[in-house]
Amino acid sequence: MGIQRWEIRPLEVWAKAKEMRAKWQQSIDDAEKEHVLLAQGNCNWAVGFPALRVIEDNPVGAMMGYRSSQFSRECRAAGEILGWGREICGYQLNCWGAMYLGYQMDGSKFPMRDMVVPFPDPCDQHTKRGQAPMDYSNIPRWQGDSPLYTGPHDPERDATMIENKVGTTLDIIADIERIYGQIFDDEKFIESINLAHRVREYAAEVCLSMQHIPAPLSQKDLYSFYTLGGLTKTDPEETVELWRMLRDEVKWRVDNNIAAVGTERYRWIEAHPPPWYFLRYYRYMEKYGAICIGSQYSHMMGGPFEFKEDGSWGPRVPLNSWGERPIKTREDALRAMFGDDARGHNFKVDEVIRPYAICEFAKAYKADGAIMPLWRGGVGCTVTRKEQGLRLSEIGVRVLHYEGSQPGDRTDQDETRLLDMLDVWMESQGLRKLED
Amino acid sequence: MHRFKEVLDNRHEYAKNWKARTGGKVLGYFEPYTPEEVIYAASALPVRLLSRHEPDDMTDRNIYASCACARDIVNQVALGRFDYVDGITYAEACQWMRHAFISSQYFQSFSYTCDIFVPDYVDGHRSKDVMYSEMKAFKKSLEEWTSNTITDEALDHAIDVYNTNRRLMRQIYELRRADNPIVSGAEAMEMVLASQVMDKEDHNRMLQEVLKELPRRSHAGYPGPRLMLVGSPTSDANLERLVEELGAVVVIDELCTGSCYFWNEVIPQEDRLLALSLRYLGKPHCALKDNNWRRRPAHILQLYEDFNAQGVIIAKQIYCHPHGTDNPHIWKILRERIYPFHFLERDTTVPEREMKTRLEAFINLVEPVRVKLRG
Ligand code: SF4
Ligand code: SF4
Repeated sequence: MGIQRWEIRPLEVWAKAKEMRAKWQQSIDDAEKEHVLLAQGNCNWAVGFPALRVIEDNPVGAMMGYRSSQFSRECRAAGEILGWGREICGYQLNCWGAMYLGYQMDGSKFPMRDMVVPFPDPCDQHTKRGQAPMDYSNIPRWQGDSPLYTGPHDPERDATMIENKVGTTLDIIADIERIYGQIFDDEKFIESINLAHRVREYAAEVCLSMQHIPAPLSQKDLYSFYTLGGLTKTDPEETVELWRMLRDEVKWRVDNNIAAVGTERYRWIEAHPPPWYFLRYYRYMEKYGAICIGSQYSHMMGGPFEFKEDGSWGPRVPLNSWGERPIKTREDALRAMFGDDARGHNFKVDEVIRPYAICEFAKAYKADGAIMPLWRGGVGCTVTRKEQGLRLSEIGVRVLHYEGSQPGDRTDQDETRLLDMLDVWMESQGLRKLED
Repeated sequence: MHRFKEVLDNRHEYAKNWKARTGGKVLGYFEPYTPEEVIYAASALPVRLLSRHEPDDMTDRNIYASCACARDIVNQVALGRFDYVDGITYAEACQWMRHAFISSQYFQSFSYTCDIFVPDYVDGHRSKDVMYSEMKAFKKSLEEWTSNTITDEALDHAIDVYNTNRRLMRQIYELRRADNPIVSGAEAMEMVLASQVMDKEDHNRMLQEVLKELPRRSHAGYPGPRLMLVGSPTSDANLERLVEELGAVVVIDELCTGSCYFWNEVIPQEDRLLALSLRYLGKPHCALKDNNWRRRPAHILQLYEDFNAQGVIIAKQIYCHPHGTDNPHIWKILRERIYPFHFLERDTTVPEREMKTRLEAFINLVEPVRVKLRG
């Protein structure tokens, strides 16, 4: 029997994503020249400040791992001699190592942060990650928390936890206004929240579309958009437009059975970020007609999902629990941003607290297999990974684990061995390469 | 004094006997942010699930990486050593411990599990509200599980017992400030570890007796250079013993299983749960929760000076990310003050020969010719 071949086409909107990412990078590099403050963190409210840009070491460290193993190795060595453990998140070590060295990959000056507002809790490394620039250059640091709970709905816990997030963020904004003399533009912030809800809705639609056979996108495509509007803060309107374009193009691809991998016959999921320095393994799997349809991590851009009573797969919490109420004040905007349910807002719930949740994910996306890296560095990347693997095996999803240092750290990655493992694993499932 | 070590070494038997004696439930906990007084007030026995650092061939299927402290707890659960533990609770701290909390449930079924959120921003003026609300939720769930109402009187009693324990442990530690301490580092560590697996009233009685006996103890003479122990927690006194066999003395530690466990008291107030919330948030900062308002470095320096230490051993568990991330700053402050320190990385077991060689070299650096280096 011949192999089913779907039509493939490059994703048109990808060029736009690339352009926006480059623009963001430029804005960071120009921050000092333009007398704009640079905040290390996530700060979804930063748009309200006229002269504040946000940068996270997540995309920075990942990008360094992707672009130059040699430079990121130098950076990590610069951190290790100061006492950083080898098992620390490679993103942090890449990023802060460059800070210790004083320069970036292209030789330009390292953009020193002016303040730190860490994005707390999903991984302990997030909580601690802003520590290095604060300890190094004595800049202010504001810590928030991301309280959450599991179990039955508890209105009192919800209220207190949401209050904590809203109140702490209000305090941080007020502090920054007071210390730096910048006036926070509430209107701009409110507008950005309205737009952010739309980004999330589009992102959720894109994630849901990955249920289709053939999958309209690959995991690599998803990652091209993943940080835009999230960790990489781009112009809010342009961001919404980008996501709308992506949603439309994906919808069209689904309607017309345009595939990311024309020979799709095996669907796999993965866990957490991939080895950025070795994305070639996605292509390698395509030789088997195997497509990665994402991970709980990459689908986080659309929020947490669950099976509904009617058997459909949909967002666990309403994408806009604030509803149609008008957002009038800064506080309203923050409440709309945080929602009103402190359960399950955070992917930590699914990845860490409910390791069995990955089975629902695998079922929803009709996965045949799962490739679950075991990273030595960091903690969020690896915690409960083997439990997830066991749970998947129990429901008949084949699991491959492989080891490495961390998605941004090539040190311990044996690439040849990984490819060999992929061959053996696929062949053990009765699959042969379709082409070579 | 040896009784503490006995309890520690036979902690499972201790807990089983306690159960047989009282008919109460045992609640295992993973992190020192667990408000033990509330458990105690529910007439259950809070027991810290301490690791044993044994080579392990049980947990590999379930856990990758992870510090040995967290992993070994799961190993012991898998081996059935905690079969007397009725319930477990995890008060949010390090993620490897959360992993242990989760994996343990795949090896043993517990009649009660509870997850308490503890802010990472322990100093935030809004953090106490979350902690307080978590405390209330915890109290309610404990009442349901134990079928005991936790009254104010029971909480007062528990707070009193725990505060007494903290004061008595502080008295023991104070003795170590002397030029020739009559309590060794290994002994002190065993006392504080034992306190975490015992009924505190029993422990208090033992401490009171020991404090009466101690003045009669003869000084062993000059104990050698005075060292401080900093770093990831541990659940035995093997390292202290090794150091002390080499002719130095550990006079103070800054471990979450050591001094940080009992350092601050509950300051009583009308609202007992609020008083408890403030106590747990106000603990000496652990590496993970030492963020905006850096208190850990100052605390370490203060202890160093108060206990007249002459050098620091920074012992980190492999895969301990909180300490792996916090260490650069700790190294920096020690270097700035020219306080000698030695960085040791520990794994599941203590490689005695290798550690001995390294510690000998360090002790010699602090006090040349103290240890005759082996050829
Ligand atoms: S989840 Fe992984 S990549 Fe992300 S901060 Fe944690 S260790 Fe780093
Ligand atoms: S703080 Fe360190 S030693 Fe303790 S459980 Fe976490 S990783 Fe392990």
